[in-house]
Amino acid sequence: MDSTSKTNNLDQILAAEEELAPSSGFVASVMERVREEAAAPEPIPFPWKRVVPGVVLALGGVVWLGVEGARQGLARLPELDAASALRLVPLQMSGTLEDAGWVAAALGVSLLSWLLARRMIGRSGLL
Amino acid sequence: MQPAAEDGGPTAMRGADLSTTAHNASAARGHEADLADVERVLAGDVNAFGGIVRRWQGPLVNMAWRYCRDRGRAEEMAQEALVRAWRGMSQWRREGSFSTWLFALAANVFRSELKRFPTLDVRIEDVPEPARAAMQESDLATRQTIDVVRRAVLTLPQRYREPVVLFYFHEMDVGAAARTMGMPEGTVKARLARARALLKKRFPHLEDEKAAMELAEKEA
Repeated sequence: MDSTSKTNNLDQILAAEEELAPSSGFVASVMERVREEAAAPEPIPFPWKRVVPGVVLALGGVVWLGVEGARQGLARLPELDAASALRLVPLQMSGTLEDAGWVAAALGVSLLSWLLARRMIGRSGLL
Repeated sequence: MQPAAEDGGPTAMRGADLSTTAHNASAARGHEADLADVERVLAGDVNAFGGIVRRWQGPLVNMAWRYCRDRGRAEEMAQEALVRAWRGMSQWRREGSFSTWLFALAANVFRSELKRFPTLDVRIEDVPEPARAAMQESDLATRQTIDVVRRAVLTLPQRYREPVVLFYFHEMDVGAAARTMGMPEGTVKARLARARALLKKRFPHLEDEKAAMELAEKEA
């Protein structure tokens, strides 16, 4: 018997605890809860397999845009002073055929994402 | 603390007069029954969980009672522990006994429940010192002394309270208390010693051996 298990008055009081009998309906109430949980439909798992490629693609796009933007910005930096930079803004806003193509591509990607999302939700039975 | 027998009779309540051999045989039968029921539950038989609930309801309610000293709440906490056990049944690795896993899970549930809604918001210094046992004249006074000491355990800081609760719940088995808490035995022993020191500081007359004998006799 070690120092922690030497009996003394505290031990006698705390060890001599009367046993509590559970109420008669205890088993029934536990089993009722368990049956309810068993009968509940399985939670819909998050569709990681479908989402991961999209997330990777989107992240790739963002990184590519960032790198490309920085590269072009750095390339033009020596040509521009503050005043000419301000003048460029309306020029860029005026738009060219190339810009319109980019806008159309962005709209296309948005539409594709929206259709894909609808399809995924439709398959999961939420719509 | 041993589980109740399959027929519903709580072995824990008649454990003192059992021989060691009979006790071990009963524990082995309980372990086999647990194993069989767990296999059936994992195979999809919800009703098999009833056997586990019947065997372990007594120990779990008593364990919860020692954590909160509130009968209604003890049953709620024990129920929550059993439902969590049902949900996480597949996480029981067969290396240890089912009871070790169940008690550790229950201790986690009780700990977090009591963190959300603490039982007592009293400091140990504010618990009244009971009158000396030798001076008490009635059994009622003795009962009150015992009750005060038991409730004083709940006023201990959480890190000391739980080792005390589990040490006495496991019939003064440090190893079992340590396994339930998932702690090394040395840590549990150190915390028990500190808890005892705090309680003895608060109730110095409990060191008196004569008073101890009187209390124990009256309790019996």
